[in-house]
Amino acid sequence: MTENENGPSRREFIGAAAAVGAAGAVSAVVTGCSGVGERYEGYQYPHLLGEAPDGPVLKAGLVGCGGRGTGAAVQFLSAGPNLEITALADIFQDRIDKCRNDLRERKGVEVPDENCFLGFDAYQKLIDSGVDVVMLVTQPYFRPEHFAACVNARKHVFMEKPVAVDPVGARSVMSSARKAEGIGLSVVTGTQRRHQKDYIEVFRKITKGAIGDIVSANCYWNGRVPWFRTRQRGWSDMEAMLRDWVNWTWLSGDHIVEQHLHNIDVINWFTGMHPVKALGFGGRHRRQTGDQFDFFSVDFVYENGIHIHSMCRQISGCSDNVSEHVRGTKGYSNCVNTLFEPDGEMIWEYPYELDEEGNPKRLGSQAYFQEHIDLVTAIRTNKPINEAENTAISTMTAIMGRISCYTGKEVTWEEMMNSDLKIGPDKIEVGPSDYRAVVPVPGTP
Amino acid sequence: MRRRAVSRQKLPRIVTGPRGLLLVGIVIGVGALVLLRAANHYTSTDSFCGSCHIHPQATSSWRLSTHYAGTSGTVTHCIECHLPPGGIGYIAEKSRLGVKDIFGKLFKDESRFNWEQKSLLEHAVTHTFKDACLECHKNLFPLELSKEGEEAHLHYTQQADRLRCINCHLHVGHFDPSAGGAIEFGLVTTEVREIYTEPAVVDHFEDYTEYIPGSSVRFEMVAIQGGTFTLGSPESEHYRGSDEGPTRDVTISPLWMGKAEVTWDEFETWYRQTAGEGRTDTRQLSVRSDPDIDAVTGATPPYGAPDQGWGKGGRPAITMTYHAATEYCKWLSRVTGKKYRLPTEAEWEYACRGGSSDPYFFEGDPGDYSEKRLWNRLFGRNTSGIDPYVIYSGNSGGKSQMPSEVMPNPFGFLNMSGNVREFCLDWYAANAYALYPEGATVLDPRGPASGTEHVIRGGSFRSDAARVRSATRDHTRHDAWLMTDPQIPKSIWWYSDCIDVGFRVVCEYEEEGTG
Repeated sequence: MTENENGPSRREFIGAAAAVGAAGAVSAVVTGCSGVGERYEGYQYPHLLGEAPDGPVLKAGLVGCGGRGTGAAVQFLSAGPNLEITALADIFQDRIDKCRNDLRERKGVEVPDENCFLGFDAYQKLIDSGVDVVMLVTQPYFRPEHFAACVNARKHVFMEKPVAVDPVGARSVMSSARKAEGIGLSVVTGTQRRHQKDYIEVFRKITKGAIGDIVSANCYWNGRVPWFRTRQRGWSDMEAMLRDWVNWTWLSGDHIVEQHLHNIDVINWFTGMHPVKALGFGGRHRRQTGDQFDFFSVDFVYENGIHIHSMCRQISGCSDNVSEHVRGTKGYSNCVNTLFEPDGEMIWEYPYELDEEGNPKRLGSQAYFQEHIDLVTAIRTNKPINEAENTAISTMTAIMGRISCYTGKEVTWEEMMNSDLKIGPDKIEVGPSDYRAVVPVPGTP
Repeated sequence: MRRRAVSRQKLPRIVTGPRGLLLVGIVIGVGALVLLRAANHYTSTDSFCGSCHIHPQATSSWRLSTHYAGTSGTVTHCIECHLPPGGIGYIAEKSRLGVKDIFGKLFKDESRFNWEQKSLLEHAVTHTFKDACLECHKNLFPLELSKEGEEAHLHYTQQADRLRCINCHLHVGHFDPSAGGAIEFGLVTTEVREIYTEPAVVDHFEDYTEYIPGSSVRFEMVAIQGGTFTLGSPESEHYRGSDEGPTRDVTISPLWMGKAEVTWDEFETWYRQTAGEGRTDTRQLSVRSDPDIDAVTGATPPYGAPDQGWGKGGRPAITMTYHAATEYCKWLSRVTGKKYRLPTEAEWEYACRGGSSDPYFFEGDPGDYSEKRLWNRLFGRNTSGIDPYVIYSGNSGGKSQMPSEVMPNPFGFLNMSGNVREFCLDWYAANAYALYPEGATVLDPRGPASGTEHVIRGGSFRSDAARVRSATRDHTRHDAWLMTDPQIPKSIWWYSDCIDVGFRVVCEYEEEGTG
């Protein structure tokens, strides 16, 4: 694990794409239809109950016991009656201990010793421990492999976005998603805006033509520097990367994939499409560790020549903005709660409940609970929801943007669907690693 | 008046009024429906299909297939694959086929039907319906689907308008014992024979036999004395393509050319000695690796059975990419110390003509032999002039044949005109000849300096007699020939959608020897 500023080749970032010949072969996996009305046909709205219905005990196991994983476990347990967390898996013992302790203190849950699994193969032991639902909240790098194992074992899944870090992984999730669909599993994927009532109402109105056909859009995640972990004495190369994962492309996908995916997913959701190609740029000035960029700016081109701009940045001390914006032929929207006429006059606003002081109660944090309520409802009512494929498509979209920024070159969806790019070290094991931190240099051959 | 009265008396009242007519109509209608249903049922049984389609091997191979002898115990009947799965399409196709089959039964000679040819993919797609496959196989991503299967089916979902199920699953309805077996490809040596240690030593310009060191494979090379000939065909030639002119006078320098197309024996020797070098992460094959193989790369294993199950040995090697053919030549040059390469199309045509300026190097006119001529189709044709020299659609049985099946041309070459089409060195351009100077004699032309597809020459076992003329030109279709390949990235060594192109080698001649 050494820092290396040499420019890597394009191949390292795009993989060997197959000969891309025949034009017009690009078709969406799920959303490849033509008419605007048709695009939204069959969209699975979640049930959005206040609490999941009662039913036989559902046992869940948590793979990845970090902060997000522990949070997800708590949210799952709060989704309704008769829900249990019965198993934990992680690579690090201290993570398991802390998570176990948190669950005991906050929810009174006691996970027995024999159901706490340690190591890179812990996820499989957890799957085999008799759980009904598996929650995949590890570093995104592991998601495709873990998800495939869950589907093969016929487990319902909650998994955090992003669902992959490279094209090979994203395609694996697309295939597993279809296998899951075939046997009626429910899969919820941490794209919580799709479980947020205000977003959903705006989406519903847009599908009915409230702002006409969408002609352009923008999405943003411009924010502060996230956390990082400086290496501590006694940490091996691999441990240092795993604990600092949000700064390593092979583990997180870089922040355009890891974080900005939320906004890109909203755009794919609202347009009912995915882009055909992308051209972007980005760079690195301020990051302390890892090999990621600080900022990305991508022009995504969708069918019918619709351009959508995506912008994300992780640098503190700048103007911040986390939002989406879509413009249609008859108006525009901020996606979350308001529709406007083309001249800016408000058409409609989501009617929030007001708190004691008369301020609207926002739904953002509620959505983290809602996605688990929707998952449990789907399982208990036997009306499956399966978000894996849509999230895989959004993940692939973000990966396409990243690769274009890393290389400085235009990247097509077809190239992504034919790329053999699989990133990360050859050997995944705790100990020394010869994985190099190579910061991409756009424009190098 | 009287007669009417009688008839009225004979018929009950209820049948004669308007309501009676309605009733009669209903009875007739229901009767007709019942009859149609019965007829449809009767004409949908396997035994009914078999009563006209006299191809016992199709029935026996179906019984051996997964669609009859599968583990599920379900039997899939003829019409479930060979007719659309219902609705208007079903009725229309059934009617069309019914008329066609009755016509065939009455007016065609069943013994002349080439069932083998009809089971090739290009024919199978006309009588096997994708919707019919999907009618039963509704879930393309079953849990048991392998990793390769996932990639392949995801590839299919991206290209569903261009791919058919049988692009990959050709033999699922009719078992073919020789299909598959790609994993053992190139690794199985059948018998113990003499292993040559040295290549041929050539010190005179004459025919020689090349020995591939480290193998028991040898092949014949024929010396071509140089000469001048007219490249291309005259505008008067029947079925001439517009890219076959304008004609040019061309001089070819002396060289050697393979007597026959490169065989599987020869091609597999290259594969065995170099395979796996082209890619680090290939399938689990314990192939030999040669440490000093730097200049030459070796192929990865093919995706399916590259010989189409027809057998290898002395048959011409097929389905390799153009790149693979050129890499083969490089390797052959290295192991023999000579200068092997693909022929230029001028060299190829010079060798094919064997001194003749007629459409063929043998007697006869394309009009006499071609199926394109209505007269020939209706009343038959005498092909005794062409059959001994060419493996083409008229005599091939839908697959390539051993070189020993044909007579040589005047220069001593086998299968120049037929069996498989052959890669040439040149880039293809429709106007390639026009780029050469008019009136002068061109020495050893090599075609345009650049291009996107390469020239292929000669006809194949699939070609009509009109396309096995000495001047016939064609070109590679790289993307189309890889359409089915679901691997990522697609193979650079094997075409998934081209089964009738191979190549032959030439060896360059230098005055002092062979270099």
